[in-house]
Amino acid sequence: MLKVKNLTKKYDKVLAVKDVSFEINSGEIGVLIGPNGAGKSTTIKSIAGLLRFDGEITIDGKPNKSIKAKRVFGYVPETPALYESLSVWDHLEFVARAYGLQDWADTAETLLARFDMDDKKNKVGKDLSKGMQQKVSICCALLIKPRMVMFDEPMIGLDPKAIKELKEIFIELKNSGCAVLISTHILDSIADVWDKALIMNKGEIVFNSTRDAMALKDESLEDVFFAKTEGEGATR
Amino acid sequence: MSAMFFIVRKTLKNLIKGVFKKPILFIGYLFITLFVVTMLIASFAMPSGLIRRGSSDLYTGIVTVVFIFMYYTTLKLGIEKGSTYFRMADVNMAFTAPIKPNHILLYGFFKQLGGTLLFLFIALCQIPNLKNNFDIKPYGTWMILLATIFYALSYPLISMILYSWATKKTGRKKILKRAIDGLALLIAGFFLLSLSRTRNIVGTMGYVFNNPIARYFPVIGWTSSIANASIKGFTTEFWTGLFGMVALILGAVVGLYRANLDYYEDVLEGTEYLEAAVKARREGNKMTFGLKVRNSVKQKLSGTGASALFFKHLLELRKTAYVLFFDRSSVSVMLAAIMFRLVMPKEEIQGFSLSMVLFFALYMLLLLQMQGRLSTEMEKHYIFLIPASPHEKLFFATLAEHIKNLFDGAVLFTLSGILFKAPAIIVLSCIITYTLSGAVYTYSDILARRLFGRIHSKGLLIFIKVIVNLLIIVPGGVAAGIVMMITESEFYMICALGGWSFVLGVTLFMFSAGILNNLETVS
Repeated sequence: MLKVKNLTKKYDKVLAVKDVSFEINSGEIGVLIGPNGAGKSTTIKSIAGLLRFDGEITIDGKPNKSIKAKRVFGYVPETPALYESLSVWDHLEFVARAYGLQDWADTAETLLARFDMDDKKNKVGKDLSKGMQQKVSICCALLIKPRMVMFDEPMIGLDPKAIKELKEIFIELKNSGCAVLISTHILDSIADVWDKALIMNKGEIVFNSTRDAMALKDESLEDVFFAKTEGEGATR
Repeated sequence: MSAMFFIVRKTLKNLIKGVFKKPILFIGYLFITLFVVTMLIASFAMPSGLIRRGSSDLYTGIVTVVFIFMYYTTLKLGIEKGSTYFRMADVNMAFTAPIKPNHILLYGFFKQLGGTLLFLFIALCQIPNLKNNFDIKPYGTWMILLATIFYALSYPLISMILYSWATKKTGRKKILKRAIDGLALLIAGFFLLSLSRTRNIVGTMGYVFNNPIARYFPVIGWTSSIANASIKGFTTEFWTGLFGMVALILGAVVGLYRANLDYYEDVLEGTEYLEAAVKARREGNKMTFGLKVRNSVKQKLSGTGASALFFKHLLELRKTAYVLFFDRSSVSVMLAAIMFRLVMPKEEIQGFSLSMVLFFALYMLLLLQMQGRLSTEMEKHYIFLIPASPHEKLFFATLAEHIKNLFDGAVLFTLSGILFKAPAIIVLSCIITYTLSGAVYTYSDILARRLFGRIHSKGLLIFIKVIVNLLIIVPGGVAAGIVMMITESEFYMICALGGWSFVLGVTLFMFSAGILNNLETVS
């Protein structure tokens, strides 16, 4: 579903991402992990169509910047930013209009209820806490019923109930055949859900494996992470 | 496209609904509306050139210098950070949606039309002053506003195009910045060279900024030629400027709209910068936002208890200043002194010239100091946790501000004193009054926070504080006027104003210190 081929991104003289390639299939949850400055954000922004890059990124077989690809792609950014004067419901209505959704209201109601936001429908963006903004951001991404969805540090600011709900949503998305990519620093938060691990360091993918393959080798994600980012032999 | 205009429609609707829901907001906006209407009526209705009729060369010079400065600063920042019509909400929600980038750009341009209102308001505030000093034509106000609109619409477009070109190849950014700096240096060099020959500033302004190259120079020359129609009438320069700017803006918009656009990256950095600037403004540290911090300044932190705040502020001041306390605001006050010397007619130079500079400086300080260092301090928890009395904490947390005002006052009035050949005692009294009035503004700002709490609209809060400050300073102004009539002495007049500021400063200090008792009082 998501194919990243030879992605390279240079800012002036700094090579932020170097020849990165990976795939996330339908019904698969991929995690993109790496230390600060590894190139995760640049990769995420490139996939989201916000940056120019060398290489090829396709979503559902279409170039990621095309209208057709965007129609099936949901994105939850690291820092939620809502329209200050638009209510929670207005945000969902905007998404429905922008993506040309029909009969979306019931889905929106259900999503808001799952995140305990149903009583805050009329609150405007500037009156919401960071956690609530994050919940709205997640609801907006899920409203379109995406075939590929990308979460950038989705747990930050969420309360325990919302985290639990989001983990369930990850599984539901996977079971419905959606490709999910999660970028995070908190390995524990995604320990139960991931299928494919992508570890980035210094702008490159230094590790790409599935849970099954790692289980066969009796490798733990945490050990591999430290070994790949701090040198072989470094485990915690 | 309908999705993007849904945002505009809903934003406007919710903004209006929000104003009616909160009485203090409603009253505040009512005040602003009344103020704008008054300014509008004053700008259009007041006669021009009755008090004095400055030369058209001086007018052209001032207008051109203002536009050069505005284009120079905004384009340089645009090349560095990219320019943007957008906020992060647009980036996260609209840029990633299946909407054509051209439609999003059009939406951004439409939003910018709203942004021009701020520039129009700033321009509107200058018009009565211009009408007092120059012979502005009856339709002149329209021309000044028209030039302002063209500026506000054109600079983001030019910035976006330049940034887009510059970021495609390494080294282009540097080339562009050097070209802009070079052009600015060329103008400054040509001006100084001409000045050394003529030794007449107004004449030099006419020679440098009224010559055909300057008048027909793309963008800057065009914009200022439109504004110049307010004094020169509808000349060929005006029509060239008008058609030039219309063609430029339309051409850029149509070109960008039709092009196969991939501009999201170009506006991303600018949007992130804008978002940070908005956050800084809300937190009250607008004055320090974007300043370069020099890590080379070596100064150990000293002081214990509340005084540690003072030494921290001193270090912060030094790190953002060019030398010692000489920073951007010091340059502004220096330029203000020189401009005053240029604009003030000869007959007034003999009279109460330094007090005129003082009044103007106090007005500027009122606008600038509304977002001082203490506002930033109160957004963080440290000041509330320091084990010291609120009075002690307030004193030390504002002491650096007073020292900075003393420093700027010394720069401004020493320079003005030399330019106007004023006696040393007048210079000294101006410096002290300037510092004391700065203290009034600082403490009234804190008292306003204590009384109003945190109003979501920082602009509205600033507006309320400006009005309150003007009102409380009035008795001092009246006292100064009476003293002047009785004694006919500029020195005693300034002392009366200084005395009132001292009494007011101490009173406000006593009433406002309680704000530091707990964090709740500021939120």
